Amino acid sequence: MNDQDYILFEGYISKTLSLEDMADFENKLKNNSEFKQAFITYKDLNNFLEHKFENEASLNAFKENVHTISDAYFNKENTTVTKTVKLTPWKYAIAASVVVLLGLFIFNNFSNPTYSDFSNYETISLTVRGEQESTIKVAETAFNSANYAEADRAFKKLLELDGNNAELQFYRAIANIELDKFEVADSLLKNLSKGNSAYKNKATWYLALSKLKQKENEACIGILKTIPEDAEDYKQAQKLLRKLE
Amino acid sequence: MGDKHIHEDQKFIDGLLTNNTFIIQAIYNKFAPKVINYIRNNSGDEDSAKDIIQEVLITIYNQAKQKNLQLTCPFDAYFFLLCKRKWLNELKKTTNKEVTINDEVLSKNDSALELADETALFEDKQSLFNTMFQQLGTACKDLLKATFKIKSMEEVAKSLGVTYAYARKKKSLCIGKLTKLVQESPKYNQLYY
Repeated sequence: MNDQDYILFEGYISKTLSLEDMADFENKLKNNSEFKQAFITYKDLNNFLEHKFENEASLNAFKENVHTISDAYFNKENTTVTKTVKLTPWKYAIAASVVVLLGLFIFNNFSNPTYSDFSNYETISLTVRGEQESTIKVAETAFNSANYAEADRAFKKLLELDGNNAELQFYRAIANIELDKFEVADSLLKNLSKGNSAYKNKATWYLALSKLKQKENEACIGILKTIPEDAEDYKQAQKLLRKLE
Repeated sequence: MGDKHIHEDQKFIDGLLTNNTFIIQAIYNKFAPKVINYIRNNSGDEDSAKDIIQEVLITIYNQAKQKNLQLTCPFDAYFFLLCKRKWLNELKKTTNKEVTINDEVLSKNDSALELADETALFEDKQSLFNTMFQQLGTACKDLLKATFKIKSMEEVAKSLGVTYAYARKKKSLCIGKLTKLVQESPKYNQLYY
């Protein structure tokens, strides 16, 4: 194959050939096996390169995840052997105090986790500097001073005008969790978590926290497991999972 | 392959593709013990099993991502076959002993064999492509890297300080060069016929 052939291959793949050239090309593919073989290889390589460079980051994330899971799995395999040791009386005393300490530790760490242990949103800033649009200002101030009922009313009003605003939907959902109005909160969060906005993962996390506040631990666990590793709250989610399971 | 029935275990492939921690954990819990057992009984240990399983999962991931892998057999059969073959190849390399790979006796599942063959072919191609890519000159390597990372040829041209037309032409010539290298390799005929 010469340079001109490779330029043609590229044109064919990127669909930039004229109709006439395209017909010629396909004809040649049919009748010239050497040409066809080179083209198949070229196309394979094109796919290969695309995958190699485009998906580099996701491949690395995958490798890392497998590595962690593998380590955890094989460590467990290794520690299944246990030993029994005979204890002298003073060792009983030590063992007893260890049990007490352990009990305290467990009590502190594994007591039932609550919504407020994990919810980690901060004060919000919805207004652009200098802009004093009243409803937005009301929503912001009410939310930041924990006046969630008023914040909810303001968010609702704003969403009537700007229904697709993910940020407003998200904070309205949080206000509703705080108000124990879970139906509103959950439906907003479910939508966000299915969408593609920047709030997608946050919404999933808060949907899990909403279930936690409703004491629906099974549902909470199920949702936590869908939070991907690259999510901001992944670590927190894993921590909560450990406490619930 | 398109008209064959997709097995319900496709969920494991999809889980790998989306890097779903819980599916990957499930794969370990369900399917690793058999592999570990097999490798232990065939002059290996747990560490070798650990490596083999990781490599096989990465291969499956790559194939799924690049070739839209569709499972036509139980995941168990496919996964075990891949691990087993990889281990036997490893043994061949390290012990220099003749190891016969006798899948037919051990696997009753034809589509698992077929699929495992496909994966092996995919893996061999990947490794040849990678080797040959390394043999390209720096200019070609950089241009291809930029092309596939940035996607927009205009931006690529700008970032490399060349014209759009030149960047496009150069891209096809670089892949052309790579095509030549691959076709000239002694391994080529095993992979394409």
